Amino acid sequence: MTVGAMPLPPGTAPPSGGPRAPDRDAPLLAALRAGDEQAFATLVTRYHASLRRVARAYVSTDAVAEEVVQETWLAAISGLPRFEQRASIKTWLFHILANKAKTRGVRERRTVPFASLRPADEGGGRSVAPERFRGDGDAWPGHWATPPRPWEDPERRLQSLEARECLRAAIGALPEVQQAVLTLRDVEGLEAEEVCELLDLSAGNQRVILHRARARVRTELERYFEEPA
Amino acid sequence: VSVDEIVCREFAELATEYLEGAMPDETLELVEEHLAMCDWCRDYLHQIETTARAVAAEIETPDAAPPAQALEALLGAFRARTRGDASR
Repeated sequence: MTVGAMPLPPGTAPPSGGPRAPDRDAPLLAALRAGDEQAFATLVTRYHASLRRVARAYVSTDAVAEEVVQETWLAAISGLPRFEQRASIKTWLFHILANKAKTRGVRERRTVPFASLRPADEGGGRSVAPERFRGDGDAWPGHWATPPRPWEDPERRLQSLEARECLRAAIGALPEVQQAVLTLRDVEGLEAEEVCELLDLSAGNQRVILHRARARVRTELERYFEEPA
Repeated sequence: VSVDEIVCREFAELATEYLEGAMPDETLELVEEHLAMCDWCRDYLHQIETTARAVAAEIETPDAAPPAQALEALLGAFRARTRGDASR
């Protein structure tokens, strides 16, 4: 685990092929360099929540996470003139954050959450409750006993206030490490390799954590969809 | 994962690995054989994809903007830095 000096983000080109391409921050860069406060406020509003959620995986309280995010923004302000666009602004910000948060976590004498993680630690059980599958004595062991029912009109129903509350609560209830990975992959659209590097995760662990996070949120949404509309 | 087939219970753990295109060829073949005949697991897979999209859409609406005071302080730092650069 390296702590201290902030490495430049890797990569020679902006991420491509991710769900979020093209990079929506690119148009902000010139304005940021010209000292446009509105552009900076836009950037802060855009990433503050995600940065805080990722920071929270390293440090013990929301208040400390908020401080780490503040430090990240201050470092970004001073680093901006040297930002070289070898990576996207987003990737750059999360790299700064990961370094600040690790340093802070070490100072708090908190075990770095990702480095020693085994999939089982973060598994929190299976992706689907075991009783939903047929038992080993059955004619079809391991097949669905209570299969998922197709969701009706998910695009529309997921826009309702109630569904969004359910979703937010489900995400908020995930273990911090799962929230961090879900945020980086599904919210911010970072590539798997970038997330592994940021969080010092193996490719396999990253996938297991991401899947457990999605699966838990799916279970909560399933409950929502099975209530009468 | 058993040797010659994948059952639903196993697929439930493999959906993201499948979506990521990260499977070894022999597992991929078994998964595709299973999906071809299992409507339930295809439904499950769709729900995992829908969930990932819903998560993205939800958090794009920032419900956790920085505290006003913190934002003010950051804007102040940004202003000071930019002016500092300009005067150099």
